[in-house]
Amino acid sequence: MGATMDGPIHVPQDGDAEALDYTKAAPPEEPVTPPGRWVKENLFSSTSNTIQTVIFGGLLLVLLRFVLNLVFSEENNWAAVATNVRLLMSYNYPAEQYVRIWFTVGALAAAAGLSMAAWQLHPRISVRRIGVNLLGTGGVLIVMGILTPGATPSSIRIGMLVIGAALLVIGAGLLFGTEDPHLKHVSFTAVLLTISGLIIAFLWLFPLGKYLFIDGEAIQEDGTVSATTKGPWTVTILILLASLFVGRAIGKAIGGTRPLRLAMGVWWVIGPAFLIFLVLRDPEFDWDYVLKVDLPLALAFGLGGGALLYALTKPTFADQARAVGAVLMGFAIFNWVAAFFGWYAMLQKVRFSFLALALFALAAPTFAGEKSARLRFAGMWLGLVAVGHWLITGINTPSTLDITAPPFLGGFVLTVSIAYYVMLASFPLGILLALARTSRMPIFRVLSTIYIEFVRGIPLITVLFFFSIMLNLFLPNGMAVSELAAVFTGYTVFSAAYMAENIRGGLQSVRKGQYEASDALGLTGVQRTGLIVLPQALRVSIPNLVGQAIATFKETSLIAIVGGFDLLRIADKTIPAQTAFIGQKRVGLLFICVVYWAFSYSMSRASRNLEVKLGVGQAR
Amino acid sequence: MTTTNSMTDVHNGLTDELRARNDIIECRGVDKWFGDFQALRGVDLLVKDREVMVVLGPSGSGKSTLIRCINRLEVHQGGDIIVDGVELTNDLRNIDKIRSEVGMVFQQFNLFPHLTVLDNITLAPIWVRKKAKKEAEQKAHELLERVGIPEQANKFPGQLSGGQQQRVAIARSLAMEPRVMLFDEPTSALDPEMISEVLDVMKDLANGGMTMICVTHEMGFAREVADRIVFMEDGRVVEIGTPNQFFTDPKSDRTKLFLSQIL
Repeated sequence: MGATMDGPIHVPQDGDAEALDYTKAAPPEEPVTPPGRWVKENLFSSTSNTIQTVIFGGLLLVLLRFVLNLVFSEENNWAAVATNVRLLMSYNYPAEQYVRIWFTVGALAAAAGLSMAAWQLHPRISVRRIGVNLLGTGGVLIVMGILTPGATPSSIRIGMLVIGAALLVIGAGLLFGTEDPHLKHVSFTAVLLTISGLIIAFLWLFPLGKYLFIDGEAIQEDGTVSATTKGPWTVTILILLASLFVGRAIGKAIGGTRPLRLAMGVWWVIGPAFLIFLVLRDPEFDWDYVLKVDLPLALAFGLGGGALLYALTKPTFADQARAVGAVLMGFAIFNWVAAFFGWYAMLQKVRFSFLALALFALAAPTFAGEKSARLRFAGMWLGLVAVGHWLITGINTPSTLDITAPPFLGGFVLTVSIAYYVMLASFPLGILLALARTSRMPIFRVLSTIYIEFVRGIPLITVLFFFSIMLNLFLPNGMAVSELAAVFTGYTVFSAAYMAENIRGGLQSVRKGQYEASDALGLTGVQRTGLIVLPQALRVSIPNLVGQAIATFKETSLIAIVGGFDLLRIADKTIPAQTAFIGQKRVGLLFICVVYWAFSYSMSRASRNLEVKLGVGQAR
Repeated sequence: MTTTNSMTDVHNGLTDELRARNDIIECRGVDKWFGDFQALRGVDLLVKDREVMVVLGPSGSGKSTLIRCINRLEVHQGGDIIVDGVELTNDLRNIDKIRSEVGMVFQQFNLFPHLTVLDNITLAPIWVRKKAKKEAEQKAHELLERVGIPEQANKFPGQLSGGQQQRVAIARSLAMEPRVMLFDEPTSALDPEMISEVLDVMKDLANGGMTMICVTHEMGFAREVADRIVFMEDGRVVEIGTPNQFFTDPKSDRTKLFLSQIL
């Protein structure tokens, strides 16, 4: 072989390279089965199949009838839910501050629209799928209309039958009126526009709900809820659509969605924290303290620490960085010892900041490099200080998280806040625990194993009681956490142990060859973990992590037992105690069932989409 | 200290021209145990600058273990290994230094499945060599051109054929600009029709003056490209010689038996 070093080597190509790219392959043709044949093939193909179909079909109908009986029972007073929608959603949140909640919802809608554009989440949906879904929904509605108990208002009954029949007609029209319905596709945008239009029309046409405030003052007129919410919801949906188109336009203008994806990724990690803080924030926020103490502290740590880290990331300063890191770490730990004995006072925020700075200084040699890399590292520190100080300021604001009298935070907002903060905090903690448990250093392994096994052996309710009642007893003098913060800590401690086990499963699935390849390239242990092992492990863990997130979301209902006014407590205790609705428990519970289910189900669907998007289970 | 019980002279098969060059890798009496099993028994080896050395031997003879010891993927328990003047000890700084000087290509490719081909190649230059991203990417494109797959830069490893993946793995190692390349049976996991495309890249590399140690079963490659061939059995170096010597006039009976079985 006389090929020169620099010339391309002409090697035989193994087949057409494009053919290997299966993502571009056309889907196999799927013939449309007429409904009659489908029923025969799948439900009545043999004697045993027929018997099974009849038995389980009958059971299904009985079950449906039972549920309909529950929902449309004469004893139910749905006005109890309709009147208390505001209570269930946001509890005693001051009405004049409602604009904050709407701002949050609007910002989330904008982010969702931009993200859909960034990740190009606009699949084309086949006409066949839409038709089949419409037929299915219509069929179920008609069966429900027939099965509803006699006491049901006839308007609801006839409504079900009419809407069901309409859906059947539209679905059949789509399926049999179009040529090749499985090949013909409708764009996602069209579907989204249709659904949005229907929702807006519904909001404006139907007078929903009425108000009852906690002090008993009721505005007993139909439509008071929709009167105050239809405007904001319409705006929200329009924001969603607008941001979707804006996102697409940005993608086209800059010729790629990568920057947008990056921006949205960062936003989803930190953005909701800002928004929830916006909702939680006490109306009587102490701006003076923020300007005189919080802001200067954040600036000092951000800029001073940033400059220090920029200096320490100079490639020749590795030894100095380790020394400074060690000194800072010693000081950070000493601060807590001092706090325990009450030697000197220091804001908790400052203690945490010193600890974080110590960790960053120790990591500096890993991130050493050229000017751009060093600036990025200092930038990371600035970002951490900004987010961290913002959050701690939020949590430290005295009355914000104090859920004892007067309780102003509650309902669905409380559920979402707790679930979100717990997930956000327990995720990194879980990663650290999992890494410690698989570490080669025995001390980390033992400590992490003890923690995980101990926590997993205790019921969650015990952990919550411990943190809500006992935590303050164990804290040194002068340190206290509000009850909600304590409960939040308990949830995080509990959830992190389970997260750790899920992530450990992912870590074990990373092949030995990946470690060897990273080592052979000269990556340090930290780089190997952060760049190679963790991304792969987390990808594998997604289904389990989402399962854990859903569990956490549902477990927030336990906060009712330690004194929080969450959805469950309101449905179970508050509404049945109102004079107008004495004993009306069932409707509230049915309603929160639907709320919990809708959220959990959306999360699991979203995770399935994410898995497909990230190629979990794809051949490596 | 262990006794050096290898029966061969490390200078066997060295031409005068090779003899005059610097030593890049020096193994002296290397011992390695896996539990009770001794995988390497006092291995002596000398690799010269720009030399292509092919290691042959039956499976379980310690070939892979030997080259995995050279970049410390395995820890040797006896003897010395000196790479480019740096002795391999437990000192982490030495290990990192040697690993960035020595590239390794694995039987199973071991590409990073979550990164594109381009990111696979630029990762180590950016994070270990602290190169600027732009510079690293330019170099990566050059390397992909060199291994014949410039059009695959933005694909993921899972979308490539075995032969293409192995060529990316070679490019990934070359991106670190190593002084030595280690090949651990680079074609053993490939379908027959893809072997030649990888061997062609390796031949090109050898002709370009790269110092290489290849563990392989490709006799044609060994005969054509190797400066010297090392034959190992039972954790010992049995014979070292030029390809001509080795294939036409083997000295030990064991080598003769091995050659009669494979040729």
